Amino acid sequence: MTKARVATVWMDGCSGCHMSFLDMDERLLDLADRMDLVYSPLVDLKEFPLEVDVAIIEGSVSSEEDLEKLYHVRSRTKVLVSLGDCAVTANVPSMRNPFDLDCVLRRGYEENADVNRQVPVENVPRLLPRARPLHEFVKVDVFVPGCPPSADLIHFVVSELLEGRTPELAGQCRFGA
Amino acid sequence: MKPNTAQITTLKIDGHDCGARSDETILDVAQENNIFIPTLCHIDGLQDIGACRLCLVEIKGSNKLLPACVTRVQEGMEVTTNSPRLQHYRKAILEMLFSERNHICSVCVSNGHCELQWLAEQLGLTHISVPYLHPKLEVDASNRRFVADHNRCILCTRCVRVCDEIEGAHTWDLYGRGVDTRVVSDLKQPWGESESCTGCGKCVHVCPTGALVEKGRSAGEMTKRGQFLPYLTLMREERQ
Amino acid sequence: MPTITIDPITRIEGHSRVSIHLDKSGMVQDAQLHVTQFRGFEKLCQGRPFYEMPALMARICGICPVSHLIASAKACDALLAVRIPETAERLRRIMHLAQIIQSHALSFFYLCSPDFLLGMDSDPAHRNLFGVAAHSPQLARDGVQLRKFGQEIIRILGGKRIHPAWIVPGGVSNPLKAEDRDAILKMVPEALEIAQRTLTWFKRQLENFREEIRVFANFPSHFLALAKDDGGLAFYKGWIRIVDADGEIVNNFEARDYQEYIGEAVEPNSYLKSPFYKPLGYPQGMYRVGPLARLNMARHCGTPLADQELAEFRELERRFVLSSFYYHYARLIEILFSIERIEWLLNSEGILSDHVRAYAGPNEYEGVGVAEAPRGTLIHHYKINPNGLIQTANLIIATSHNNLAMNRGLTQVAKHFIKGRVVPEGALNRVEAVIRAFDPCLSCSTHADGRMMLNVQVFSSDGELINEVNR
Repeated sequence: MTKARVATVWMDGCSGCHMSFLDMDERLLDLADRMDLVYSPLVDLKEFPLEVDVAIIEGSVSSEEDLEKLYHVRSRTKVLVSLGDCAVTANVPSMRNPFDLDCVLRRGYEENADVNRQVPVENVPRLLPRARPLHEFVKVDVFVPGCPPSADLIHFVVSELLEGRTPELAGQCRFGA
Repeated sequence: MKPNTAQITTLKIDGHDCGARSDETILDVAQENNIFIPTLCHIDGLQDIGACRLCLVEIKGSNKLLPACVTRVQEGMEVTTNSPRLQHYRKAILEMLFSERNHICSVCVSNGHCELQWLAEQLGLTHISVPYLHPKLEVDASNRRFVADHNRCILCTRCVRVCDEIEGAHTWDLYGRGVDTRVVSDLKQPWGESESCTGCGKCVHVCPTGALVEKGRSAGEMTKRGQFLPYLTLMREERQ
Repeated sequence: MPTITIDPITRIEGHSRVSIHLDKSGMVQDAQLHVTQFRGFEKLCQGRPFYEMPALMARICGICPVSHLIASAKACDALLAVRIPETAERLRRIMHLAQIIQSHALSFFYLCSPDFLLGMDSDPAHRNLFGVAAHSPQLARDGVQLRKFGQEIIRILGGKRIHPAWIVPGGVSNPLKAEDRDAILKMVPEALEIAQRTLTWFKRQLENFREEIRVFANFPSHFLALAKDDGGLAFYKGWIRIVDADGEIVNNFEARDYQEYIGEAVEPNSYLKSPFYKPLGYPQGMYRVGPLARLNMARHCGTPLADQELAEFRELERRFVLSSFYYHYARLIEILFSIERIEWLLNSEGILSDHVRAYAGPNEYEGVGVAEAPRGTLIHHYKINPNGLIQTANLIIATSHNNLAMNRGLTQVAKHFIKGRVVPEGALNRVEAVIRAFDPCLSCSTHADGRMMLNVQVFSSDGELINEVNR
C-alpha cells in the first residue's frame, strides 16, 4: 500500500493548530502506518516536495513570504486544508488590519525599544498591509475552523482524507471553538 | 391576552398542515409547530422589522422570497422553509455580516453564546467567501457598567427597539447609511454621557452578539438573558 | 562574504533562518539568527477592554498559552489592584505547571529526541518523532504520554487543551471539582515514572554528546529568572533576579520595575528583539533565561525527587552549568518537579474552595504581570484609560531574552563544525540543534508582528551564496 504524502505548513499563526494536531496523541503515531509526513515544522526536510497529497496549513497570510509559500504549496498539492481560524478567517492576526502597518511596526520596534530603534528590513520578509485568509489567494479544498480545531476534529479530517473522502464538516465546527 | 377576533387559517409549512390565527406570521406558526427558521433581528417580545432577511421563505406561486417574521399567514398558503436556494441566500447574508465588521470569535466575550456564531454553525458555514473589510471601529466603554463594541454589531436593532418599545427611553438609534451605519446613543454621544439611558441593561441582554456586553466579562463569559422580554411585553399589555 | 543559510530551521517552534558568514579562508566568521515572523500584538490590542487581554494574549502562542494567560491575568490583577483568592492562585499554578510539562515534553521528545536517539548525523528523512517511534517505540510513547498528561490537566481545569479561557483577571472562572482532582491524581504515578525513566536514559546519553556539550552556547553569561525570597525555584511569582556566571546575585527587582533594568534592542535583520541588562549596556548585557537559568539560580526545587536531581545537576560543572546543551537536562528535572508539585498542590487544603475570583473595576491605570514560561521569564505590561481600554502594551517574551545568547552560541557551533565551503548536513543540523537547545518559541517572540523560518545560508567572503538549506 502506498502511503499518502502529507505536509503541514505553519504561516502566521500561534502554532496552536499544530499543537492540536499533536494532541491526537497515540493516534498520531498510528496514522504513520497510512501516511508519510513529508514536510512539516516537526520533520527535517526543508524543501516542500513535489506531489503532496494533503497539505494542512495553519495561519493567515501576513507576509510576502507567506504568500509565496502558499502559491508554492498550492501548486504541488492535491488537497489543501485550511486549518484553524487564522487560516480560515485571519482571526487574531487580522486585528492589526484596521491599523496602518507602519504604526504596527513602529509600535514594536521604535516605541517599545531602547537601542537601535528601527524597523527590521534585512533578511526578513516584508509584511503585507493586511493579514488575510488563505482562500482569498488560492483555492482551498477543506475548511476546518476553530481556535484551534479539536484534535478529534483534526483526526476525523485526516482520516477521511486518507480514505479518499472529502470530510463533511458543515455543522461539525464553528468559528472560535 | 389579545382579544381573539382573528379567524382560523390553514396552511402548509414544509408539507405539514398547520392551523393558525389569521393575524399570525409565518414565523409564529412555524415556531408553534417546531419548524426551525433561522432568525437574527427577530426576538420574541419585540416588534418585527424584517431587517436581517435570514428568515426568508419560499411561498408556492410566488417567485419572491418573503421574510417569515413579517409575513402574515394566508389561507391555503404553502411555505417552504428550507431549500438550496434559501440556504444559499442565508449563507450569503451571514457571510456579509461576518465580513462587514471585525468578528474575532476566538477572543470574544460572547464566544459560545453568540447567535451569529451559532447560526453560522447551524447553517454549515465553514468560511466567508467575500473579502473582509476590517474597518477601524470604536469600543465605547464610557458607561460604568456596559460596553458597546461596534466591531461586533450586526445592526439588528434589537437594542434600539427594546429601549424604545419596552424601556421607553429610546436611547439608541441608527446613524449614517449603508455600510457606515452605526448604532448611537442619544445624539451620538458616548454612552456614559447619555441622559436618556436608564442603565437598565435590556439592550445588553437582547443583543445577539458581543456588541453590547457587561463590563468585566472575559472571553466566553458573556451569557445573555433575553427570555424576560415576552413576559414584560405581556405584563405591559395586561396593565393597559 | 560567503554565507551559509539554513532556511527554515525545523523542529523548533516558529519561523527562522540562520546565516553563517565565512571569511576568505573559508572559516566561519559570524552566524546570525533571523526571525521572520511578526504579528503586532502590542498594537492590535490597543483600544480593547483590558479584561479581554488574557484570552487575546494567549493567542500569541499555542505552545505556552497558559504562561501568557498568567502573565496577562497578573497584569490585569494589578489593574484591578486586588489580591486574588489563595485557591485561585494555586489553581493557576497547577495549570501553569501542567503546561511546563507538556511544553518541555514537546521540546524534549517531539523536537529534540531524534537527535539524541538517532544521532545528529542521522538521515534527516527519519530524524523526527516517527523515526523515534520506529526505533524506540517506548521513548516515543513516553513522550506522547507525558505531553498528554500535561495537556489533559489543562483540559480538565479549563475545558480545552489549547487556549482555555479559564484564567481571568481576578482569579479563575471555575473552581476545581473533587472528581476532577482525583482524576488528575490518578495520572500522577505514571507521569512520575516516565519522567524518571527518561532522566535515567538521558543522563546515559550525555557521554555521546561531549563535543556538543563543549560548544553548544557554552560560555559565561548572566542568568535571569524568577526566584523566591529563599532562593527556591519559582514559576508563578517572585523577584526577578539576575546572577552572574559565578552565581553572585547581581540584582533583584520587582516585575513592575523591569524597565529600569531590562532594555530592548533591535537588529535590522530579525523580527526578534534583543533584551539586555541595562546597567551593562548593549550588547554586553547579554543573559540567558529558561530552564538552565532557573536551575542554576535555584537553591532548591522544593520537592524531594527534583531536589535529588538538582543536586546531581549541580555536579556537572564546578560553579554554574554554562553549556546550553544542558537546557535539555534542566527541562527533564523541571518536568519531574512540576509533576511532584502538582500532586502537592492538588492535595493542599482548600484547593476545592468555591472562592476563586476577586471582582473589581480598574483601580490602577498601569499593571505589570510576570511568569516563568517554559522558555523563560515572560513580562506583560499594560496601560489603560479610566474606562478600562488598553492604551499601550509592552511584552517581553521568554525567547527574546535568549536572542543574544543564541546568536553567540550559533557562531560558536558554526565555528567548530563548519570548516570551509563543503558543509556536511550533520554540521548544519548541529547549528539548528544549538537553537533547539534553547527551545525558542518564535510564535511568541515575534508577537510584535512576524514569523520565523529556519534558513541557513553560507556566504563566501566575497558575498557569494555558496550553500543554502531551508527548513
